[in-house]
Amino acid sequence: MNQPMNRREILQSGCGFGALAMGGLLPGMTSAAASTHHTPRAKRVLFLFMQGGIGQIDSFDHKPRLDTDDGKMMPFDDSRQVANTGTRGSSQRIFRSPWKFSPKGQCGRMTSELFPNISQRVDNLCFLHGMHTEGVAHGPATLFLHCGSSTFVRPSMGSWVIYGLGTENENLPGFITIAPTAGNGGARNYGPAFLPPRFQGTPLGRAGGPSKEATFRDLQSDSDGERVANLLNQLHEEQRSRHPGDAALDAVIRSYETAARMQLTAPGVIDLSRESAKTLAQYGVGSGPTDSFGQQCLLARRFLESGVRFVQVTYGDGSANPAWDQHSNLTKHADHARAVDQPVAALLADLKQRGLLEDTLVWFGSEFGRTPYAERNGTGRDHNPTGFTVWLAGAGVKPGFAHGATDEFGHHAVEGRVHMHDLHATILHLLGVNHEKLTFRHAGRDFRLTDVHGHVVREILA
Amino acid sequence: MAGFICLISLSLGSTPANDLAFFETRIRPLLVEKCIKCHSEEARTQGKLRGGLLLDSRPGWAKGGDSGPAIIAGKPDASTLINSLTHTGEIKMPPTGKLSDQQIADLKEWVRRGAPDPRDGQKPASQNREIAKPWWSTPPKAPRIPDSTTTQAPIDQFVRARLQSRGLKHAPPASAEVLARRLAFDLTGLPPDAALLASLRADMSAENIAREVDRLLASRAYAERWARHWFDVARYAESLTLRGFIFKDAWRYRDAVIAAFASDMPFDQFVAEQIAGDLIPGGTESERERRTVLATFLLLGNTNLEEQDKKTLEMDYIDEQLDVIGKGLLAQTLTCARCHDHKFDPIPARDYHALAGILKNAQSLEHANVSKWVEVPLPLPPEQEKAVALAEAHVKQLKSRIAALKKTGGPKSTGIVKPSELSGIVVDDTQAKQVGMWMASVHSGSYIGAGYLHDLNAEKGKKTLTFQAELPNSGEYEVRLAYSHGSSRATAVPVTVFSADGEQTISVNMSTPATIDGRFVSLGKHRFEKSGQSFVIVSTEQTTGHVTADAVVFLPVSTTTKSTNLAVESGSLGRLEEELKRLEETMPKRPMAMGILESAKPTDLPVYIRGNVRNPGPLAPRGFLTAAAWNGQPTVAANSGGRRELAAWISSSSHPLTSRVMANRIWSWLMGEGIVRSVDNFGVMGEKPDDPALLDYLAMRLSSGGWSVKKLVRELVLSQTYQQASGEDGWSETDPDNRLYGRARVRRLDAECLHDAILSIAGTLEPCQGGPTFAITLASDQGYQQKGRTRAVYLPAFRNSPHELLQAFDQADSSSVTGHRDSGTVVQQALFLTNNAWVRDQAEKASTRLLKSPLGERADILWMISLGRQPTDRERAIVASELASSANEQSVWARICRALWSSAEFRRLD
Repeated sequence: MNQPMNRREILQSGCGFGALAMGGLLPGMTSAAASTHHTPRAKRVLFLFMQGGIGQIDSFDHKPRLDTDDGKMMPFDDSRQVANTGTRGSSQRIFRSPWKFSPKGQCGRMTSELFPNISQRVDNLCFLHGMHTEGVAHGPATLFLHCGSSTFVRPSMGSWVIYGLGTENENLPGFITIAPTAGNGGARNYGPAFLPPRFQGTPLGRAGGPSKEATFRDLQSDSDGERVANLLNQLHEEQRSRHPGDAALDAVIRSYETAARMQLTAPGVIDLSRESAKTLAQYGVGSGPTDSFGQQCLLARRFLESGVRFVQVTYGDGSANPAWDQHSNLTKHADHARAVDQPVAALLADLKQRGLLEDTLVWFGSEFGRTPYAERNGTGRDHNPTGFTVWLAGAGVKPGFAHGATDEFGHHAVEGRVHMHDLHATILHLLGVNHEKLTFRHAGRDFRLTDVHGHVVREILA
Repeated sequence: MAGFICLISLSLGSTPANDLAFFETRIRPLLVEKCIKCHSEEARTQGKLRGGLLLDSRPGWAKGGDSGPAIIAGKPDASTLINSLTHTGEIKMPPTGKLSDQQIADLKEWVRRGAPDPRDGQKPASQNREIAKPWWSTPPKAPRIPDSTTTQAPIDQFVRARLQSRGLKHAPPASAEVLARRLAFDLTGLPPDAALLASLRADMSAENIAREVDRLLASRAYAERWARHWFDVARYAESLTLRGFIFKDAWRYRDAVIAAFASDMPFDQFVAEQIAGDLIPGGTESERERRTVLATFLLLGNTNLEEQDKKTLEMDYIDEQLDVIGKGLLAQTLTCARCHDHKFDPIPARDYHALAGILKNAQSLEHANVSKWVEVPLPLPPEQEKAVALAEAHVKQLKSRIAALKKTGGPKSTGIVKPSELSGIVVDDTQAKQVGMWMASVHSGSYIGAGYLHDLNAEKGKKTLTFQAELPNSGEYEVRLAYSHGSSRATAVPVTVFSADGEQTISVNMSTPATIDGRFVSLGKHRFEKSGQSFVIVSTEQTTGHVTADAVVFLPVSTTTKSTNLAVESGSLGRLEEELKRLEETMPKRPMAMGILESAKPTDLPVYIRGNVRNPGPLAPRGFLTAAAWNGQPTVAANSGGRRELAAWISSSSHPLTSRVMANRIWSWLMGEGIVRSVDNFGVMGEKPDDPALLDYLAMRLSSGGWSVKKLVRELVLSQTYQQASGEDGWSETDPDNRLYGRARVRRLDAECLHDAILSIAGTLEPCQGGPTFAITLASDQGYQQKGRTRAVYLPAFRNSPHELLQAFDQADSSSVTGHRDSGTVVQQALFLTNNAWVRDQAEKASTRLLKSPLGERADILWMISLGRQPTDRERAIVASELASSANEQSVWARICRALWSSAEFRRLD
């Protein structure tokens, strides 16, 4: 269990690609620019995770039929009932959206009044209306979204990405997840599973926690820190002379040099006070409902700007029924929309203005959608993994575009169906990575993020 | 830079390897799922062959069936098989329904590429020539020891023979200091104590080293260290990542494993009891308890119990169990054979399902929205058993009296009550969200608040009421519904409670008076999370008669026994409930363990085609891995679930894998790498043994030495090979990877060693003899603060909240078998050691401790306990200069501790 320390072996373990790309923080491997399968369109990914399940029919997937048939009892294949009992065609009450739809932007896309600010930016967005996924409950579906498997322990998508591409800035982690959820798989959602531990996502804060918690651990030393560092340098000089040419020893010593650089770099990156009052106001920082998520979005932009490869921001909490999970009292969706709408719109505008949208792919979505009928004839909607909407924006995707469709009720994806595996494949594709070739040998098998599935959604590529 | 170099050879374009990969990933699974049921040799033997066409081999489809060749390689349009897929011609395949567009496109592409197909029709894939005889297929034999004329230990002779053949020899022995540190961490996981260092420095004779080794092996610390190794294999943890559910009795398994290593329980018995301990009869209470607890091994997986398809969940659960049995005990990737025969190793899907069938009879889950692991009572000594039984009988009696009272109605309260007069969180009908037309009424004269609602006995199924509560705290609540009863009321009203555990529907009879205080009916106790779902829906679905609703009350369980309505608190029902609660709190508890309910009627599983539980194939009678079979191995009797036989099979001395796998692990834990480096995978895709004879020698020493782990550990650490000096990287051009063992391997101190070392240097390590190490009432591991100061092995092993240090230093992933830990040198580790508050605190404590020693000895003591050596002159100068720089000597020593613990030398093991 005490581990060998031999760089040659590290390089030889696993298959060639992974071992060499492991670089993230290996000396001299700071950029993977020359090592993609094809020319990348995106250099980095920002994932805005709306935990719990936004109702697609309440936000971006307009279904007039729900207005005309509101209140009617009709048969539906409810995913939960199918999974639990095999029952199909159960009687359900059509439940119209309480939010009005109207055309927006030059593309004239119909969106609801739930997200007024994001809706103003539809000309930048690329909608996938035919999404479907695995898992009727939050636990399985959340893991599937992050790791491509609802049950087995598999690496998170962000881990795969930095395993494949390394990092652009060796003074910062390559995969940062801001306010990750502690529930529904918790750390597994940003864990490396069988990939080497260095590919773990670095969590900052926790979903539902105060935004001040979203900071690096152990970055700040105390008043003695400098003197300790100085002592350590002296001790290392002596240890080096006792073990001349020892690569393992040198690697450890170098990690302190990198740590020192990170201590210099990171505090500046996470210091939001360096932003102008105007920018803070645009993100809604300091004002009521948008304050917390606004800060997190701003932090995300600062990371992207500093070359962090994969950034995730979670809007949710650690409970069994995370934020967007309106089984009853659907109108509570409005509270959550109020918290995220302005910050997300500001983030899009900010990225565009800074030219970052050119090579940053933004992904906004939930683990699944919601049913177009009332759950148990009540006041909310149950989970719907068979048809929902996510949107992408930025690097390599068509702006002001929509692909795929659900049926006339917004229940099942029927056209341009995109499975979560397909979305994963497409995102890797945009990063210049062939999802079938990004593999890691574990327990005698080559594993992939997309298992044996996944098709790149070419229709949306710009 | 050249990150993708290795893959360029696999890059697209139609290379043979690429085509074959296409066949394996896209075509083979499709043929297995959709075609071979009617078009295979197996179908032929069962008389189910259709059209005379075989699709389970290349010659099969090339020759074709009644319609001639099915596939013309390279010509999809001329291939009848492809044409049949469109469902436009006479032959429509598959007859059960057209394939998806993608599947059809894949098949066309495959044919276009020339229909590459490795299935030569000679033998099934799982018996291909190449994998027919794995190196481990015969049981280990005692190998010839290279030179029987010397007194050199056999291990060293094996190593020397290989070294000599390459013109190399053993490195010189390690120094006393290095050996002391190596032995102490390897055997006990703690730094060497002064006695060990002094003893070895005075006397490096073989006799003295053996004496010191025996002392270390006899310590409890040895058992704690080696149990921790086992926990990596057993993916031991005390919680699930899903919602942080706590395994409140998993510590019993931890303690039983430590006890097993302490008593050097024979490894065959150790294995058998972990698989089927609960089924082994006889013995004392404590033996039966230990066996039941060790079988917890099967339940520790990190499975997603929220999966809604419970049939699939059960197979996922079994799959996880087979994964840990396969990799952990046999170093075989059994679970690759869930959906198809193993691609590389001789493990057919049939064997997988034969093994899965055994575990199917071992029920480990009780299903609910989130399913729960089974808990079983542990045996008690007779006098305690008596007391517990008595109390349980009393509880039962009280419960039946309460039930009877509730049936007859108990004391009634009538009239109008204000919501504020009731305990708990009250949601009155006026606050309920209405769907459909509801009518307010005060007709009965007995209600809460302003009145109650009824559904006009109309538009059944279209109306609901939602009672939504804003709960102040997470926790367990009893939910009660108040209604207005009457003979015209509905008798079966579906009322659904939505809680953190999902939803539960209760049928309420509104034609009879409510049982609690004449107002309420209990909807049961439910767990709610603050800001999670907490509401009740009253539905009119399929009801006959009026549906009414007055209020819903959420009562925190701690106050439930108080009557809802203060006016009737003296009622006897309330008193009985209070008595019950008091009794349940104070009565002697029956200890429980995570356990298994063995099926009384054992059954077999079918082979699930492509692992799909909705697609059963032929039955796979319960059995074991055929490739590891031997004459006279145990067989599963018809009336037995098969777990005892499985335990006997794996733990047999005749088993070709078990002893080799464990001997290899022991070598790996002491030497840094296994003789087979892929310690969890002896399959074709793993590595071959560096020295098969040495591995067999060790395996035989284990199994024929009474399966004593301790004896084998002792033999290893007393070898010249273990005791030699470590070499630097690049020590030898001839053997850069040290596959010949001509030097000791430089290793990294693992997370637990680092943790325990810092606490012991600081003098803050608290003794622990086991038992639960967190509050038993803890509901979730999320946000848990690790404050323990015991050895790391006793810290709560929480999957969502591990100790920061253990996480930063690459502890094993407790969700899967980790025989060999990965390690990285990452910035987070550097930041942790130099800055973390825990480290700073321990450095403070260490400095206080140091100040108690004489001034002139402090540096020597600190260097000795931290690095196992004295400081060099230069290091003494560094210390002296730092001391001269500050008047506060304690803060100087604290800084020195921090720097020393951060230093590369402290973090490694030479």
